[in-house]
Amino acid sequence: MSLGQRLACAVLVLVLGASFAANWLAPAGYARQYRDATDAPPSHTHWLGTDELGRDRFARVLYGTRISLLLAPAAALLSTLLAALIGGFAGYAGGAWKRAAMAITDLFLSLPWLFLLITARALLPLNVSPVVSVVVTFLLLGVLGWSSAARVLCASASSLRSSDFVRQARAAGIHGRRLFWMHVLPNLKPVLFAQFWISIPVFILSEANLGILGLGVAEPMPSWGSLLKELEGLVSVGEEPWRLVPLILLVIVVTSFQIVISNQEEVAA
Amino acid sequence: MTGAHVEPLLSVDVSVRYADKPPVLRDLKVELQRGEVLGLVGQSGSGKSTLAMTILGLLDKKQCHIEGAINFQGSDLLQLSERQLRALRGRTIALVLQSPLSALNPALKIRTQLKEAWRAHASGSPADCLLKIRSALQNVSLPSDDGFLRKYPSQMSVGQAQRVLIAMAILHRPGLLIADEATSALDVITQSEILSLFRELNRSTGMAILYISHDLASVAGICDRIAILHQGAIVECGTTQQIFDNPYHEYTQKLIAALPRIRSVPPASKILSASAT
Repeated sequence: MSLGQRLACAVLVLVLGASFAANWLAPAGYARQYRDATDAPPSHTHWLGTDELGRDRFARVLYGTRISLLLAPAAALLSTLLAALIGGFAGYAGGAWKRAAMAITDLFLSLPWLFLLITARALLPLNVSPVVSVVVTFLLLGVLGWSSAARVLCASASSLRSSDFVRQARAAGIHGRRLFWMHVLPNLKPVLFAQFWISIPVFILSEANLGILGLGVAEPMPSWGSLLKELEGLVSVGEEPWRLVPLILLVIVVTSFQIVISNQEEVAA
Repeated sequence: MTGAHVEPLLSVDVSVRYADKPPVLRDLKVELQRGEVLGLVGQSGSGKSTLAMTILGLLDKKQCHIEGAINFQGSDLLQLSERQLRALRGRTIALVLQSPLSALNPALKIRTQLKEAWRAHASGSPADCLLKIRSALQNVSLPSDDGFLRKYPSQMSVGQAQRVLIAMAILHRPGLLIADEATSALDVITQSEILSLFRELNRSTGMAILYISHDLASVAGICDRIAILHQGAIVECGTTQQIFDNPYHEYTQKLIAALPRIRSVPPASKILSASAT
């Protein structure tokens, strides 16, 4: 692991650690309103100021980071599992299964992904509880984001299908699902891990996009998307630079993930 | 060849052709008796592995056309359903492939791989399974302790990996073992050990062996009979003695002529004295 990758890992650990320590670092919570100090600049009591409802921005950034950094890996896990089942099985089964699965995958890949997400989220009720909105966002990202990983896994499983050890297993009488679960899937692990890591920054950005449009995690629960939505009303960057903290954090975390996953891609290759 | 009154264990009369290509196997006829070790010799691309895959029903029937019959223990393998073939694979007909390290699953421990091969055809308690696995490993002169069973293929030597493959193949005491270039990837000492092991297993269990190889010399060491495969057809078949002493087909003669011979080497003292003068 290079120095850059170590630094990126350290940044991710620090951000994740801070977000999980939000209960101690910002004990008042993300929803408490300081009505006498709405839209306040940074101060000793509110390090990043407050928003227009008087909520502590530092607390909201910490809790929002926690939600985004939990949501994205969870969605990545779901999409990777779907990709393993759809793409992996298609590659292993070959023939008509592979053609059908890859036709569906190509269809998904050709769709404008962000617009599809927005449409799908807009079709669902907006007046849901914050917890339900988190689950809905996570499911949408996971269920719609499997296609590119499925293609990679299909190609990997196809090559494993003609490998000597699969032929040897078939010659031993092992077949069907057991051959897939026990002999093909364990050998897809490096590719699965790489796809999982690659998906995380993609889903962080997707959640942020949904949040900016008000289709992500519902208020009062914060996420990076809903925090970025606040930038809509920003007239001058120079006047209130502290409002850019969620954006800066997003860029730093996504960049760190990209640096870390470059190592994962090498492992998968 | 074989006596007409004795029904062979395996009788092959088959042609295999891939779409829009010349036939890989052309009216290939060969018979194997119970308990016999038959060597199938031919150069690369002559159709040796295709024959092994055809017998096991592992060729993709959508991509190739198979004609003829493969009679094994009274039934034509080409007429069996996939389910019936699966019941035979590994239980009555076993396969050992050329490269042991690629034929073993790199992601699974030896114990898991042997357990999988056992579970494909047998049910029983985990203790029974482990007992059979240990017995099979002992039969191929491998350690059967937990430490060895926990190893991954990458943690073993090529010779050990080949023995594990053979142990896997003999787990269910098959009537026929197909060894497809099973010693080609091994060094000469390991090759000799594995050949002795095949011969010993053949003697102790009565298991017939179809020993496929391009190496006539290694075949000569263990086979009762040798069939020479050339361009998809058997051009000559006879006892090992006949093939080596009196080869009648031109290709067989070429094969035998191509065998390496050790030239007489002068003693080291003579070489040293010659270089001094």
